[in-house]
Amino acid sequence: MFQITGILLWLIIIPYCIGLIPAAFTAADRRNPAFVFLAGYFVMWALFGLVTIPVVLFVRYDNFILASNCFMALSILCAAAGVGLTYRRKGSVRALVRTENPLQEGFGNAVRRMSWAERVEWLVFFILLGFQLYKAAAYASFDGDDAYYVTASLIAQQADTMYTILPLTGRHTGLDIRHALAVFPMWIAFVAKKSHIHATILSHTVLPFLLLPLTYLVYYEIGRLLFDGRKNGQDKGRIKRAARRVDSAASENRSELRSGENLPLFMILMAVFQIFGNVSIYTNETFFLTRTWQGKAVAGSLVIPALLWMFLLLSDGRERKDADGLRAKRTGTKRAGLWLLLTCINMTAGICSSIAVFLVSILMAVTAVCLAFVERDCKILIKMGAVCIPGAVYVLAYLIVGYGYLLQ
Amino acid sequence: MWGIFLESVVIFKNYMGFHQHRYLAFLYLGILLYLWFAEKDRHRRAVFVYAPTLLLVMFFCPLFRKLFVRLLDDSETYYRLLWLLQMSLVSAYGIIRLCAKHRRIGVALACGVIIVCGDYVYDSENISRAENAYHLPQETIEIVDLIEPEEGRITVLVPADLIYYIRQYSTNIELPYGREMLIARWDYHHPMYEAMEQAEVIETETFVELAREYPCAYIVLKEDREMTQPLTEHGFELYGQVGEFVIYRDME
Repeated sequence: MFQITGILLWLIIIPYCIGLIPAAFTAADRRNPAFVFLAGYFVMWALFGLVTIPVVLFVRYDNFILASNCFMALSILCAAAGVGLTYRRKGSVRALVRTENPLQEGFGNAVRRMSWAERVEWLVFFILLGFQLYKAAAYASFDGDDAYYVTASLIAQQADTMYTILPLTGRHTGLDIRHALAVFPMWIAFVAKKSHIHATILSHTVLPFLLLPLTYLVYYEIGRLLFDGRKNGQDKGRIKRAARRVDSAASENRSELRSGENLPLFMILMAVFQIFGNVSIYTNETFFLTRTWQGKAVAGSLVIPALLWMFLLLSDGRERKDADGLRAKRTGTKRAGLWLLLTCINMTAGICSSIAVFLVSILMAVTAVCLAFVERDCKILIKMGAVCIPGAVYVLAYLIVGYGYLLQ
Repeated sequence: MWGIFLESVVIFKNYMGFHQHRYLAFLYLGILLYLWFAEKDRHRRAVFVYAPTLLLVMFFCPLFRKLFVRLLDDSETYYRLLWLLQMSLVSAYGIIRLCAKHRRIGVALACGVIIVCGDYVYDSENISRAENAYHLPQETIEIVDLIEPEEGRITVLVPADLIYYIRQYSTNIELPYGREMLIARWDYHHPMYEAMEQAEVIETETFVELAREYPCAYIVLKEDREMTQPLTEHGFELYGQVGEFVIYRDME
């Protein structure tokens, strides 16, 4: 019972409440429970990195206790702030979990409006997702790296120390900078400690039930952006408003795609790609299903797609009018939440893997250049550059600790 | 530079599984090419067409590879740059676009192509039915339960089969050497590992001497492991057996 409460609190309730903070600074037509939940996770992981990395670098003894206490306090504060912000804005508790997107109906209405074919398609997708979850729980996937990452989590849980004991043998060790800054295993240890579940069970059996749906939630949000809108004739008012929002140049191109009918097919394709994407041991699809709990798999399958989601959200907002037909503000609080979220996703890459910081920086730079090119506007380069500042600090810490001896 | 470029080509081919006759890459490249002509929305073009193409060019660029490897001091992870392409995401979007007028038939066909050109992940030899909630071999758990002290830590010498798992179950068990010894390309050397794993027949006297240096409270051996003399003649007692693994305890 205590374990279930701990899991619910630290894997569902706290992240969701934290997600209400960026949601409060995001336009209403962007907010929905999936957005809040995803945003909560990225903000929470960014906070975890912010608290834990300095502790790893500067505190040697009982550093896990210090980091987990600070993170726990900060998380609870942020969750309370998220609830407070939403309650103040909406004045009701129900607003915390209500869909606020005026173009998006509630779950019940959405199901009622679907054709039978769509329902079958969603069913196929959920069968595929269920199959992946079943395989994750009932089958063990051997990976040699677990001897390091999973054991590192277990050491933190059992010995209250981070990166001072070599996971492979148990001997004491100096700071291994390549692994020490990627504190994702420490987040697992934190959840393990709070829920009283053995870190290995949490990693191998429990976390796939979180990380697989969370990843598909990102795909769902991407799909919603790519194929949003409603079926022709079913909601003409909504369609008209949605059509008005789109620039005339792009609307023709999108009209055939702006159908909710495409979304379940897109999700089915994504699920099939994951199951049959094992063309080598190196693909992110293989990592996703065989090393789900490792930071690098989270970076490849969750963080990088989340960046694409943000790019689409940020660029889509530039040419959309809001639901009331007013031109959406290009700057200001309604988009501030998205920029905050983009920064947090970048920071999440840092806790997943040191290499992921370099990778997402490359992706940010390349996409920023491409967006600046299509928009003929260089401001995006400056904004994306600013988002990468925490990553730059991370890289600096990596270089100073890893190669500082060369300066002496 | 040409050599570095060819290395990148090999990495790309290995990543895409060409050597195993997996051709999912062609689906992605075909879709990317299609999107070059079909995608008119400038922002989506930037994210789904220009950026992946630029990343692909960078991946094959020898100068970029040199810089990447120099900065990270690691050439083994260069393939992860290909993760940025998010092939499945771009392909799925392109497929839906391509089949806009015959969506269901198109997606069914595409699924067929993915199944034929791809590889079923759960067929992997590294995936097996879980024996417990830890997803560790049951023998590992039984061995540790048998020897784990109530307080403190002990060093235990175990065969290579168990090295990956022992400390994932309990960190109270320390090992003289770890997984690093099992990766040949890392090129580590350890006298205890050489005595335990590399000798055809274990030279008991030297082996015991090395084990007591740590000191190893227990030694776990496979029952068919050959030794010049039994461990019981060198101050060890037979403590128990779990499956094919025999556990000896040092009495000295």
